[in-house]
Amino acid sequence: MGWELEGMSLDLEVELAGLRLRNPTVLASGILGSSYSLMKRVEEAGAGAITTKTITWEPREGYQNPVFVDLGFGYLNAMGLPNPGMAAFKTELKKAAENIRTPMIASIGGGDEGEFMKVAEHALEAGCDGLELNLSCPHVSGYGLEIGSDLQLTCRIIGAVRSVSSKPVFAKISIHQARPDVVSRYLGSGADGITAINTIRAAAISPESMTPILSNIFGGLSGPCIRPITVAVVYEIRREFPDAPIIGMGGVDGWRAALELILAGANAVGVGSAIARRDLDIFGEIIEGLRRFLTGKDFKSIKELVGYAQRL
Amino acid sequence: MSYRVGKITNIRSPTNSIKEYEIILEDPIEPEPGQFAMLWIPRVGEIPLSFADAEGEYIKFIVARVGKVTSRMHDGLAIDDRVFIRGPLGRGFRQVSGGRVLLVAGGYGLAPLYFLAKRLKADGCGVKALLGFKSDEDIFHQEEFGRFGEVEVSVEHGLSGYRGTVLDLFRGMVRSGSFDKVYVCGKEELNLAVSRECLRVGVPVEASFERIIKCGAGICGSCSIEPLGLRVCKDGPILGGEAIAPILEADES
Ligand SMILES: Cc1cc2nc3c(=O)[nH]c(=O)nc-3n(C[C@H](O)[C@H](O)[C@H](O)COP(=O)(O)OP(=O)(O)OC[C@H]3O[C@@H](n4cnc5c(N)ncnc54)[C@H](O)[C@@H]3O)c2cc1C
Ligand SMILES: Cc1cc2nc3c(=O)[nH]c(=O)nc-3n(C[C@H](O)[C@H](O)[C@H](O)COP(=O)(O)O)c2cc1C
Repeated sequence: MGWELEGMSLDLEVELAGLRLRNPTVLASGILGSSYSLMKRVEEAGAGAITTKTITWEPREGYQNPVFVDLGFGYLNAMGLPNPGMAAFKTELKKAAENIRTPMIASIGGGDEGEFMKVAEHALEAGCDGLELNLSCPHVSGYGLEIGSDLQLTCRIIGAVRSVSSKPVFAKISIHQARPDVVSRYLGSGADGITAINTIRAAAISPESMTPILSNIFGGLSGPCIRPITVAVVYEIRREFPDAPIIGMGGVDGWRAALELILAGANAVGVGSAIARRDLDIFGEIIEGLRRFLTGKDFKSIKELVGYAQRL
Repeated sequence: MSYRVGKITNIRSPTNSIKEYEIILEDPIEPEPGQFAMLWIPRVGEIPLSFADAEGEYIKFIVARVGKVTSRMHDGLAIDDRVFIRGPLGRGFRQVSGGRVLLVAGGYGLAPLYFLAKRLKADGCGVKALLGFKSDEDIFHQEEFGRFGEVEVSVEHGLSGYRGTVLDLFRGMVRSGSFDKVYVCGKEELNLAVSRECLRVGVPVEASFERIIKCGAGICGSCSIEPLGLRVCKDGPILGGEAIAPILEADES
């Protein structure tokens, strides 16, 4: 409802590889994007686009608890890509495609080219507006970063998905892939845009128990502590690829952090683990903060600020 | 933030399948009745448990033997052992002050209701508790609840108290119309049936829900009550009748 009334003012609207977002906020993959009803709540909270949980062909249980640690300065998680598999997820995607007006980006997981293609085709059939290839989850054997570490394979996957997709395809990268030569190959293979960054492989040990906390030992680091890394990655990709659509994410915990990524060069900004502390209100806070900033500074559109910090 | 360390100061085994753990924390917390903690046993696992009591550094959990972690707790934990908890998490019961309240518990669902009864009594409410069990051997905490008000027990098989389900016992009682609020914690069917009945007779009701909880921080989506999109770990575990009304109607057929 608030969609047209509040969310749709031109000043915050952005264009992202052909998708029209009412504002630059994007729900990050793996955060609440696991059912239609949760995605609906995120839309109502104001998000400009919604990314689903990473979907694999077969159902995945994920790892045993503990799977999440609040470190105070950031978060550590090793969920293990739990998802009900494409067949079951498809019902949720269809409901979402019918009832949610915010662009929905399906996050695709796979262990090989075939799986990526199959999952992508079904996600498109279900009506999603874009695809994001998870080439970067740092703690699941045979998926994510293990695929993303093989440049040739990754390029074949991107090309294969590109060839079956009528919708924009984003390659989601980790810090390890954030090199101009790698990004250039991804874009050259058919990626329409880059999502940066995924969590960074990390672990935590409790001095009291003298054991690792996560059942999987290794997980991914997110939250405010990785933001400076995100800023550098986004800045560099924007500098090298002035026209590439970029969804910047990693450490956004309010409007100032969102603005920081936009100034570095992000067209849109992902919001993930900050929801643990701020809950869904964070979308409204970012939107209001950006709007206030624009008003105070005589900019007509948030688009004018994309990469603004690079104008030396 | 990360885990708080607690030391077990007392363990009781009121029945074969239930243990009560009294714990002293290094730093006090202030949970509300209905809120829960994630309790971590290193190298074993981490599970959600409702606060069954709390005061200063002292907290209590009531734990039913279910599977991996709860069995390891029952078999392996001893006095002076350390446990690790994060919390309090979730939204607790909205407490009324004054008036007559009815508590409906199925099995270990009495855990959060015991803590609630204590608070309600302190706030001047008249408390009546209905405790449902499978058989005579399963009955526990009857006297404890007695400190805070009236108690009635039901067993499905046995000789004690009311013979039947706690739902039947409840149905006979709520129609009397003398309760200002009903709180229920038990299996999903009990929660839904009691909530539905309360909405029908116009008594405010809250129920404590369970789902598989993973992150406990409201972000992973694992504990969503579908198709409502309400997260047990953040929007719940305590949900009012109105919030769950859509599933009550859908379930009725
Ligand atoms: C908010 C909340 C508060 C709780 N409070 C208490 C409490 O005070 N006392 C208490 O004894 N228990 C409580 N529970 C339930 C308790 O968390 C589970 O019994 C426990 O996680 C089981 O762990 P386990 O490793 O022993 O069993 P597992 O080996 O993990 O599981 C055994 C079986 O039980 C199922 N199961 C496990 N957890 C759940 C669940 N949450 N919902 C549905 N099925 C499940 C599993 O799918 C499996 O089939 C609470 C649960 C929630 C969500
Ligand atoms: C609990 C959790 C689950 C996640 N699941 C996924 C996932 O399924 N797929 C994915 O591409 N990224 C996943 N991520 C990574 C986020 O999408 C995001 O890239 C990262 O958390 C950095 O953003 P943040 O600091 O805003 O959280 C997950 C992150 C968290 C915290």
